[in-house]
Parts: sequence; structure tokens; C-alpha cells
Amino acid sequence: MANYMERINALRQQYLHTRVDMDVYNAKFLTEGFKATEGQPWIIQKATGYKHQCEKKNIYIQDHELLVGGAGFKPRAGILCADSSCSILDRELDTISTRTFDPFFLSEDGKKIFKEEVSEYWKNKSLLDRWRALAPDDMETLRDCGMIYIDRKAVRGYGETTPGWDRLLAVGIGGIRKEAEAALAKLDDARVGDLEKMFFLKAEIIACDAIIHLAHRHADLAEKMAGECADPVRKAELETIAAVCRRVPEFPAQSFYEATQSVLFYEYAIYMEQNASSYNLGRIDQYLYPYYKADLDKGVITKEDAQELLDCLWIKVAELSLFQDEVTAQFAAGYCITVQVTAGGIDRFGNDAVNDLSYQVIQATMDVRLKEPNLSIRYNISKNPDSFLRKGIESIRMGLTMPAIYHDDAGIRMLLNKGVPLSEAWDWTPCGCVETNLGGRMKQYTDMADVNMGGVVEMALNDGISRKTGKRVSVSTGDPTTFATFNDFFDAVKTHMRYFVDVVVSGNQLLDYLSMNYRPVPALSLMFPDCIEKGIDYSAGGAKYNCGGGVITVGQADIINSLAAVKYLVYDEKRVTMAELCAALAANFEGYGDIRQMCLDAPKYGNDDIRADWVVGETYTYIIDQFEKYDTKFGKMTMGMLPVSGNTPIGAWVGALPSGRQAWTPLADGIGATGGTDVNGPTALLKSVSRIPHARFTQGTQLNLKIEPSIMSGEKGIAHMINLVKSMCTLDVYHAQFNVVDRGTLIAAQEDPEKYKHLLIRVAGYTAFFVELGKEVQDEIISRTEIGAWN
Amino acid sequence: MKSSVEPKSARGTDATALLEKVMPVPHAETEISEGMVLRIERSSIHDGDGFRTVVFLKGCPLRCQWCSTPESMSPAVEHVGTQTYGTVMSVEEVMTEVRKDGIFFFHSGGGMTLSGGEPLAQAGFAAALLRQSQYEAINTAIETGLAVPFRQVEKVIPYLDAVYADLKHIDEDKHRYYCGMDNAIVLDNLRRLDGMAKGIKLVVRMPLVPGINDDNETLHRTGTFLATLDNLHSAQILPYHRLGIDTYRKLGREYLLQAVVTPDPAHVEAAREILRNHVSTVC
Repeated sequence: MANYMERINALRQQYLHTRVDMDVYNAKFLTEGFKATEGQPWIIQKATGYKHQCEKKNIYIQDHELLVGGAGFKPRAGILCADSSCSILDRELDTISTRTFDPFFLSEDGKKIFKEEVSEYWKNKSLLDRWRALAPDDMETLRDCGMIYIDRKAVRGYGETTPGWDRLLAVGIGGIRKEAEAALAKLDDARVGDLEKMFFLKAEIIACDAIIHLAHRHADLAEKMAGECADPVRKAELETIAAVCRRVPEFPAQSFYEATQSVLFYEYAIYMEQNASSYNLGRIDQYLYPYYKADLDKGVITKEDAQELLDCLWIKVAELSLFQDEVTAQFAAGYCITVQVTAGGIDRFGNDAVNDLSYQVIQATMDVRLKEPNLSIRYNISKNPDSFLRKGIESIRMGLTMPAIYHDDAGIRMLLNKGVPLSEAWDWTPCGCVETNLGGRMKQYTDMADVNMGGVVEMALNDGISRKTGKRVSVSTGDPTTFATFNDFFDAVKTHMRYFVDVVVSGNQLLDYLSMNYRPVPALSLMFPDCIEKGIDYSAGGAKYNCGGGVITVGQADIINSLAAVKYLVYDEKRVTMAELCAALAANFEGYGDIRQMCLDAPKYGNDDIRADWVVGETYTYIIDQFEKYDTKFGKMTMGMLPVSGNTPIGAWVGALPSGRQAWTPLADGIGATGGTDVNGPTALLKSVSRIPHARFTQGTQLNLKIEPSIMSGEKGIAHMINLVKSMCTLDVYHAQFNVVDRGTLIAAQEDPEKYKHLLIRVAGYTAFFVELGKEVQDEIISRTEIGAWN
Repeated sequence: MKSSVEPKSARGTDATALLEKVMPVPHAETEISEGMVLRIERSSIHDGDGFRTVVFLKGCPLRCQWCSTPESMSPAVEHVGTQTYGTVMSVEEVMTEVRKDGIFFFHSGGGMTLSGGEPLAQAGFAAALLRQSQYEAINTAIETGLAVPFRQVEKVIPYLDAVYADLKHIDEDKHRYYCGMDNAIVLDNLRRLDGMAKGIKLVVRMPLVPGINDDNETLHRTGTFLATLDNLHSAQILPYHRLGIDTYRKLGREYLLQAVVTPDPAHVEAAREILRNHVSTVC
């Protein structure tokens, strides 16, 4: 074991033994700031509230730490972003400590503070309350009948973004403050438009001061602790911490140590602002490399020292716990903050970008064995060396489920499709679960709504009426028994798609309106240079590239298998009439066992079977075409397929389907096959998956491939995985993640969670501790087909 | 292949007579465009280099007691409950399936593997499949027990990249007892194949069945024989397993090796070590 691992193991144990708490103090300080600036522009109120958080939050330095800081009053605490969604805690005050998905411990003192000092102020003022007040009826109907899920962004703010980390390290918060002051000096409040810019730039300066102040508080604390420390080794470490915190993030980083601490401070800073997920670390092997190389050349650090700091950074990022309301947590359980960090890809000249640090980035995940950060590699099949891919596979083989592997060229084309020129698209970075991003330049909501694709089929087979609620939720497309041809049926499906799309887009326009007016992000905007240049906040479109809201489709295999079954059984083979099929579906197949069997035996997606797969391209081209018809304040709408664990709760709203799926059960996960139906092995699954027009789904497409550990054993196992990944890239499949866990282990973990509390699992686009997931999600993971054909 | 002749108990009968009796392959001499396929399995990694699409041809002259695919023995279609074993497929139908994994073959050096049953029992069909694969630059391999007339082996040689030939037991009597046929034709075919195997990867495989062929003497004799081959690429020891035991149950057949336990890794490695005294590459 390397020397540094003693510290890393100690930090890891400390992390694992820390309870997840609820922090309401950030909300309290924010509220104080808003009250102190009542009547001023919202962005000034927000910045002032934020400054109060930085000045007053409880700070701590834990044993063994080299990198310090934290978002909450203690490590692993979730924070409430009051201006976004104060009222969700109102409803959960007494249940949040014990709820099924992602419980957060909230003390009696916390409850009291929330009730007395936070809650009342935000009534009808928080973005969530405004969203509820303004929500269109048709949107509420679709949502309340489970056909769409659309509250996610009302509950938490702008994440799914990647700051310009190189800017932070090169310029420092102090330098950015100077930029803001200089820009402010050029404005004239008599000139139309300048006033709003002045408000913004003043907010930027307040945010700079707040962040620098918070770092200095840590320097003070470290100095104080050093003074009291009897152990000379730890004392020296604390003195170094104090010196580093005194310099960064205010000033440009001068060492690898300072660079990592600067990144960490800013990561916490933006998280404190919004309680949002996926503030990505981005291409860390690129922007940290100059500092790493310089320190190595100077002999200031060794590779092991650098590894130790990276590992410390990883553990400190994992300390972020995403607070979500109970419903949203069902869709993305596991406290996952989904901070994606990536290595590899190509540089700005189009050449191989892999360097020594790329390997160390993977090693960090192998060392800390935690669920965060969400490690991925941009694998460029034509430029990156096999040794790099191999390193990634070694990590996957440990059962870490990371890194996820991206086919680099597909990511690049997604960026092109978002309107980014090729010269910059080469610098893309994976984001959140599987979305695409561009450090310091791109603003977007990657997943503002989920569309229930199983529900779309139900609408066409039930004339727009929800089987669950009996309510009319979509337009009328007529009695399905009158559909003379398959195309008549398919047209009805498309009609409902168009209706869903239209309703979702109206929700997006409302969300954009609310976000532009009530969700300024002065701290986040600092790392988007165009914001200061234009004098416009990130939320209002200050970033260089702005993308329309991202919409996720859930239940890919369900709609494909259902369309295929209807065509095959009703129209081609004529084994069953539409009337019989509809009767069987209405009865959830009870008394129709023979029809269910026919449905189950019909061709299924995931087997490279054209009788099912023919419909993939047409269906998904159709729906993206519909979304792209709509413009928004930030460009045309975008789409992705990253259902996280939302396929379980959304499935609870869908009746029986022609695929043979029974009512209220989960929909299929990601872009994979329905569990147990892909019987032709991983190559056939990848072939089916390759029929999705990946690059048009610019918010990414997410594939889980579950693989038994024995498959990857030995040198041959590594070679098989390398070949599989290369084949995946050649097939133009955008992303895959590999769950190397056998079924027996998962079942044992369900029975004895304490014993398996370290067991990691890919849920869908992110990694979670299996035992922290709800039972339904656990069962769903277990039911997914194991790819053991080559075993 | 439409033969419906059920193989009788093969134990102790003369090999050639048995072949005539149970495997009367009328079209073995020429390429034929249809054959009896048991199943096609994609993304296999144990039947040659890289990712393989394995085409299992149904029907086998041998009756090895440890056989893990008893449903592949009879050349006829078999119905067990709702399950059907065996379907007649054309060369084009098989190739349509094989082509689907072309990209995986490209990256992994994989390709098509004919297995069985005994693929060479349908030599005409096998040759047609292999020739077409070679034409499409798809790597080819066969897994064979070589218990067929040599003219059937000869038919496929021009189209092969690799041969995985089984040598179940070096001892003639034991081979007859456990596999239902003596091994003279197998050893003879192996020698003749070796003489024509330049440019072909020739791998000889031996199942390691505890208590049956894992003794030192058998292993040394096997090694001594293998050492006489000029073009041998390598020898492989395949540990006995019981994954097929449910199929016996389904088919209503008795599984004769109930008492045999699967060998542990050390046991397998020790056997390999013995072969290494005779052959340079053993895995």
C-alpha cells in the first residue's frame, strides 16, 4: 500500500461514519440577507444573503484533512435553498429524518429555526411557490397523472453546469473582482440597459468578497488549530492549510496544492448558492496539469503527493449530499450530487489529451472507492492510447462502476448540434449523469422534465385517458379498434407525442421566465467570463452558449416493444385483434394470460432483431423533431435519455402495455432493454442501442451494461473489455457504464445492508451506495439482465 | 439435413460401422445449402479468438458421458415441452445472423465458430458456411471431435483459420467406454489434419474429467501423442463442468456422471503442468 493511503483510508472511514444531516442554517442566513436588503433588486438580495451564509456558516477542519471546507454546518449535510424551494421542507419537517428515500436527520433545534426564522418569509416568494401559482392547467393534469415529471427544476436550481475552472486557477476570485469593478466603472446609469448590468456587477463583487471571506475564515481556523496542536506533524499540516486558504481562491494558484484547494472552495461556494446537482469538475486532467507538471519539475511534489491531494479532493467532493424533496428523491435516489469529472479526450489541436494526470484521476477513484465524484473518461478511439482505456477498465473491474465511458466523437457532435463550433466542441465535457457541457461557456437546464414514453402508448390505446386516474389527460385520438393499419395507430402515438411536447414546452417557458427573474446566480456567474463581459447573469443568458431546456424520455424499451408488439401481433401476424388486446390491457392481462404470453413472446428491443428495432429510429427522430420545432429564450429545446431512477416512480402511473409489461411496474432503465428480455448477449444489445440517433439527443443517452466480475478476469478479460468499448464507439453508441456486480451479492446486500454498506452500484448515470437506495430501485437493479453470455 | 434416424447406443461398436449407421450424411460430399442448426450464440469468448458467433450444428456420432449439450447429440429435431431443439436453416439465414456482429469481429479478431454436436457430421453445410465467411473476411473456426471420415474433415480445411479439435481420451478402451466409440479414427484424423494444418491454428483440447482422464499416465500419454504433431499451436485443458445437467433432466435422460465433482483450479493447473512436459503451450 502506498504511504499516502493511510490518510486516505482514515478520511474514508471518517466519511462513511458520518450521518447525513439537514442544514437549515444556510437558509436562515440567506433569509437574514434578504430581509436586510428588502426592496432592492432580487440579485442584490440574493448576493447579500449569500454573503451572510459565507460569513456566518459553521466551519470545521476534520482530522487528517489536507483540503478543507464544506457547504453545510457539518460534513455530508444537505442544504436547503430557500429562495428556490423553501416550502418543500414545510411539508416534510416531521418526516424528513425517517423518509424512505434519502432521509436527512433534522434536529429539533433545526426544526425550530426553520419554522421561526425561514419558512414564513418565503411563502409565495420562493420559485417553487411561484411555479405552483402559475402552472398551466394542462401541465398540472399531465403531471398529476404521471405522464410527465416537471417539478425538478422548481425544487432545485442551476446545476448541470461546468464552471471555467482554468479561469478560477489563472485569475482567482480577486482577479475576477477586479474585472467586475473595471466593467462597473465603464457603465453609466443614465444609459439605458446599464442599470441592470450595474446590479449584476455589484452582485458579482459581493459574491467575490463572500467567497474570499469564507476562505480566510478557514485560514484563521487552521492557524488557531495549529496553535493548539501538540502533534508536530499535524501542526505543520495545519499551518500549510492556513497558508493555502489565505491565498486561494482569492489569488491565482501557484502550486498543485493551491489549485486543488481553490477548486474545492469554489465547488462548495456554488453548491451553497443553489443546492443543485452536478457542478462538474470537468476536464480536471487538463486544467490541473500545468500545476502538476510545474511542481514535479521543481521537485516540490512527487506523484504520490499529487495522488494524495487528488484523493483528498475526491473525498471532500463526496461530502456534498444533495437535498431533494421526497418525490424528486424517488427519481434520483442516493444523495447523489453527480459531480462529474472526466479524463482523456482530445486537446484544442485535436491531438491526444491523455497525460500522466489522466491516469491519476482514475487512480483517485480506485483509491477512495466512493460514489462521488462521478468519474468518466472521454474515450477518443482514434487518438487515446489503449493503456488509458485499460486503466479505466481496471477501475471498472474492481466493481467501482466507474469510470463511465463516453464515445468522444458522439459527444463532440452533440456539442455541434447545440450550436458550438468544432474548435470548441473538441473541449466538451460530460456533465451530471450523461449530459454534455462546455466548461465556463454553456448555460442549460439539462433535465427540466421527464416524458413518460410508456404513457404515450397508453394514451393512443385509451383515447387520451389515464388508466390510473380515469381522467382525460391528453387529446382524443379515437377508439383504437378503428385503426385500420399500423400507421393509423402510430399516427395516434405521434399525436400524443406532439401534445406532450407542447405542454412540456409551455412548462419550460414558465420555468425560464421564473429563473430569469427569481433565480440569479452571482457566485456561479463568476466563472463564466462572458457574463461579466456582457454584464448579464448566467440565469439571464450571460454565458457564451445558451441551450434550450432539456427534456428526458423515460421508458425507451417500453414504447419500442409496445409499438413492435402491436405491429407484429395485431397488424402483421394478426394473432390478436386490437379489441382483444385493448381488453387485455384494460384488465391488466387478468384473465388474458394467453394474450400476455403473446405480448411477451413478441420481438423485443435489445436483441438486434429488426422486427422490434425498426421502430427505434423513427420514434426517436420524430420526438426530437417535435421538440426542436420550439424555440425558447435560450435556443431550441434539447433532449436526453437519462432517466436516473425515475423509471420506477413514473412506471407506477402506467397501466399494462402491449410489450407484456404489467400495470404500475417500473419502465425500462436508460436506453437498455427491459430486464430479462435481451437474451442475445451484449453485442446484440449494443447493436439495438446503436439504432437510437444518439448525437441528436444532445443531453446524452445513458446505457447500463451489467457485467459479472468473472467475465473480466485475467488479461483476456481486459482485452475483451477494450474490444467491446471500441466496438461500442464504432457503433456510435454515446455512453456505457458497467455494473460489475453479481446478482447474489445484490440480494445478500438487501438482506444485510449493514454488511454491504460499501457496495457501490450504478443506478443510472450515477453511482450510489446500493443499501442507501429504496427497495423498489434495488429490486429493479436486481431484475436487470445480467450479461453473462460470455462467461 | 432431414435425417430422423435416432442414434442407438453406441457403446462398444465399431467406429466406421457406427458412422454409417447413425450419421448417413447423404450430401456430405458436396456443399449443401441447408443444415440442422441447434442454435446460434453471439458474443462468446470461449470458442476461439475475440468475440465469436458460435453456430451449433445438431447431431454427433459421439456419446461422451460428460457432454454439456446433450440436446446436440441427435441429428433430428427434438421437442421437449414447449421447447424445440433444432431448426433447418439455409446458409444465407445463418450468415445473416453471423454478419450482425461484424464490428465486434473487427475489433476483437473474432468471427464465426462452428460447433456442435459435430459440425463435420454436416460437412457439406459446414463447408458452405465457412467458405462464405472466408469470402466475407470473417475469421473462421470449428470445434470438432473429429469422429468422422477424413474426407469430411478435408472438405473444410481450405476455409479454416482455426481448428479446436477434441481429444477426449488417449486410451482406446476408455474412449470407447465413455464416448461410445473408439478413438482410432480421431487420432488418425488428427495426424492427417496436422499434416495439412500449415497456416491454420490447430489447438487440441482435452476435457479434464476427474476420475476418468485426469490420472498422470493418461496425461503423459496424451502429451506424448501431442508432441508428435508438427503444426500444433497449443493444447488446452477444459475443466469438467455440470452446466448441462438440467438439460439431461429436461430431456428425460440419465446423467451418468452424478458422482463426478468439478476439478478445482489447482487440479486443473497440475494437469496442465504435466502436459507442459511434452508441449510448449498449454492453457
